[in-house]
Amino acid sequence: MELFLARLFDGLSSGATYAVIAVALVLIYKATTLINFAQGELAMLGSFFAYILAIEQGIPLYLAIVLAMLLSAVLAAGIERVLIRPFDPADHLPLVIITLGLFLVINAVAGMIWGFDPRSFPRMFPEGDVWSMGIARLRWYTVGTMATVLVLLVLLTLLLKKTKIGLAFRAVSSNLESSGLVGVRAGPTLQFGWMLATAVGTLAGALFVADPFRQLDPTWAQRVLIFAAAAAVLGGLDSLWGALAGGIILGLVESMVVGYVDWIPNQMGLAAAVVAIIIVLVIRPNGLFGSKAVERV
Amino acid sequence: MSQPRPITEGSTAHRVYRYVPWAIFAFIAITAPFWAAHTPAFSIGESTLTFSLGNLNHAVAYMVGVLGLGILVGYNGQISLGNSFFMGVGGYVTATLVTDDGWSFLATLVVVLPVCFVIGMLIGLPALRIKGLYLALTTLGLAAVFPSIVRMEQLRDRTGGANGKRIESDLDAPGWVPIEPIGDFLSSIPLVGEWAYGEGVSGREADAVWVYLLLAALTAAAFWVARNLIYSRPGRSIIAIRDNETGAAVNGVNVPMTKTLTFGFSAMLGGLSGTMYAMAIGFVAPDVFGINLAIFLIVGLVVGGVGTLSGAIIGGIVIVFVPVWSAQIESVPGVPERFLRGPTGLFILGVLLIVLTFFLPGGIVYGMRKIRARFVQIVPDRQVAGDDVVVATGDATGGKMSRHGGKTALDVDDDPTLPDDDPHEEQAKRILDRDDGAESAPVSAPAQQTNQGETT
Repeated sequence: MELFLARLFDGLSSGATYAVIAVALVLIYKATTLINFAQGELAMLGSFFAYILAIEQGIPLYLAIVLAMLLSAVLAAGIERVLIRPFDPADHLPLVIITLGLFLVINAVAGMIWGFDPRSFPRMFPEGDVWSMGIARLRWYTVGTMATVLVLLVLLTLLLKKTKIGLAFRAVSSNLESSGLVGVRAGPTLQFGWMLATAVGTLAGALFVADPFRQLDPTWAQRVLIFAAAAAVLGGLDSLWGALAGGIILGLVESMVVGYVDWIPNQMGLAAAVVAIIIVLVIRPNGLFGSKAVERV
Repeated sequence: MSQPRPITEGSTAHRVYRYVPWAIFAFIAITAPFWAAHTPAFSIGESTLTFSLGNLNHAVAYMVGVLGLGILVGYNGQISLGNSFFMGVGGYVTATLVTDDGWSFLATLVVVLPVCFVIGMLIGLPALRIKGLYLALTTLGLAAVFPSIVRMEQLRDRTGGANGKRIESDLDAPGWVPIEPIGDFLSSIPLVGEWAYGEGVSGREADAVWVYLLLAALTAAAFWVARNLIYSRPGRSIIAIRDNETGAAVNGVNVPMTKTLTFGFSAMLGGLSGTMYAMAIGFVAPDVFGINLAIFLIVGLVVGGVGTLSGAIIGGIVIVFVPVWSAQIESVPGVPERFLRGPTGLFILGVLLIVLTFFLPGGIVYGMRKIRARFVQIVPDRQVAGDDVVVATGDATGGKMSRHGGKTALDVDDDPTLPDDDPHEEQAKRILDRDDGAESAPVSAPAQQTNQGETT
């Protein structure tokens, strides 16, 4: 029982962080039907922004994270305008290539500026446990991350459902051409989607590396991107709450399967994520909560 | 700009134009190891860039990997990022068979090629339902998983775990290959011989040259097979699926079968490339075949040219030498020195990827074709026009029915002479086809549209 609870809490805590990056992927996918392969690296960059602002500039941590979110949103606006908008959204290959190029460039720039030595990110949540039973410890970090994810999703839902820019965003994501006909300017709206997604990604990055068991270095996002993408696919790539469900399920699967099935080695969590992607895409391409895609020939 | 010089097809000038560059290329390709064996160095500013034979062998191994990816992505239109996985399989299978079971390097291909083909087909099966971005995502996941597979405890005996595996076998130059005499001969060429080829090769250098020649032979075989595949009937089916999947199906292409087989073929070339990597480097490690290699292959493909075969040669060289050279650069005016010690190679490759996608979407090969078209233009000989007609309509039209002779365009190999009722159209077609060949149509097709597709 203790072991089960311990694994449950582990799963929840990593699942929640996967979920936040998955939310960022979903935001961009909703806006542009593009999977941004550089999303993880943008989140990594954002987590470095927050680290630098908090540690080297001495700004209070929460304010530093907000500033880092703004900073990365501005960066994303520039990337969208310069590198993404000139391409036809329906033609996938050039966009995949561009985001892969961004992946390499951001990774290299972070390595060149900050080096590859691991750093420890300041704690976002109090240390210690909310509740514990033997080895099963529900840490403040887990609770704090879950709470942040829930608040974030509520805010995003309100933003998309209640505000004018949210309406424009939904119009563009449902039909690019028709939204243009009713006077929505697609370019700035998609740019807004990129900014929102990258800000969310930065928050996710900060949450991820704030775990006392993790450290900040330019490579942390590479593995996480696959997990986050698996979470997004599992939940249905265009569903925000689906991303949360997908992240939690994946986190639980990772900790339970690897914990309970003896012959599966520890490192196979990533493989489990990839297998999850393949199974979902083959059996139920719209994921658990995604809207059905209608294909015309 | 003056008009391009017309060269009549079949004339002596045309033959010279066609075969002389090939001869030069072959000469350079064969003599390159004798040149690189003593590591020529170039000085730029305060930095010294070297061109070593080891790196050249490495590049030749990657060429085949880029070629395999290019067939899948450039000709079949399946965006896959997972070919590093198959390179890893090839590299590790070769490493373990050679070291643990005492096989010879080339004999391991008997295992590597079928194994990779089958794994590729198995992964190609879900790819029938997973398309576009989803396929890219899935295969990227596959690439990311490979390092953790070979690190597994259960496989440690075979794979060497996280430390990688050194291959305990040397490829020594056999006595019957006159490598040293050739080296001596090249350096005895008057005027340039000693300057370019030094004192000739001996001992370990000769062994490295032998490895290069083996790799070059394998690469040549791979390109020959790939070229024949693309220019054959199955190749036209492959291209037709890229251009319009529904159209291809309507015209009788077995789409699932063709896609799965293409995946298998691409994986097989990936495996061959992995074996060649093992031959060239003599060491395999988990992180060599990770997510970075997967992206490097894409870089090689885009730099060389998506939808070209020859682009893979350029691509292989770029993805090996750019990181090597950028690590050797010690100072660039105006750039703080500590930035040059980081992963500058990754940075340059990433920038190349973005810049080329914007300004030269067809890659370097397409750029060279454009430059060539400014100077020469191949025109068909009017007198024999209509005799040896091979019209590769399958490329551009995605397998539209050709009325001539009642056959489909997919049968062009034995298409009978076209009737003479539309000579002008036929002439135009022939000029188009001959000018950049079936190979170049894909270059412009997917990539060029992108720059024009300015969205609002």
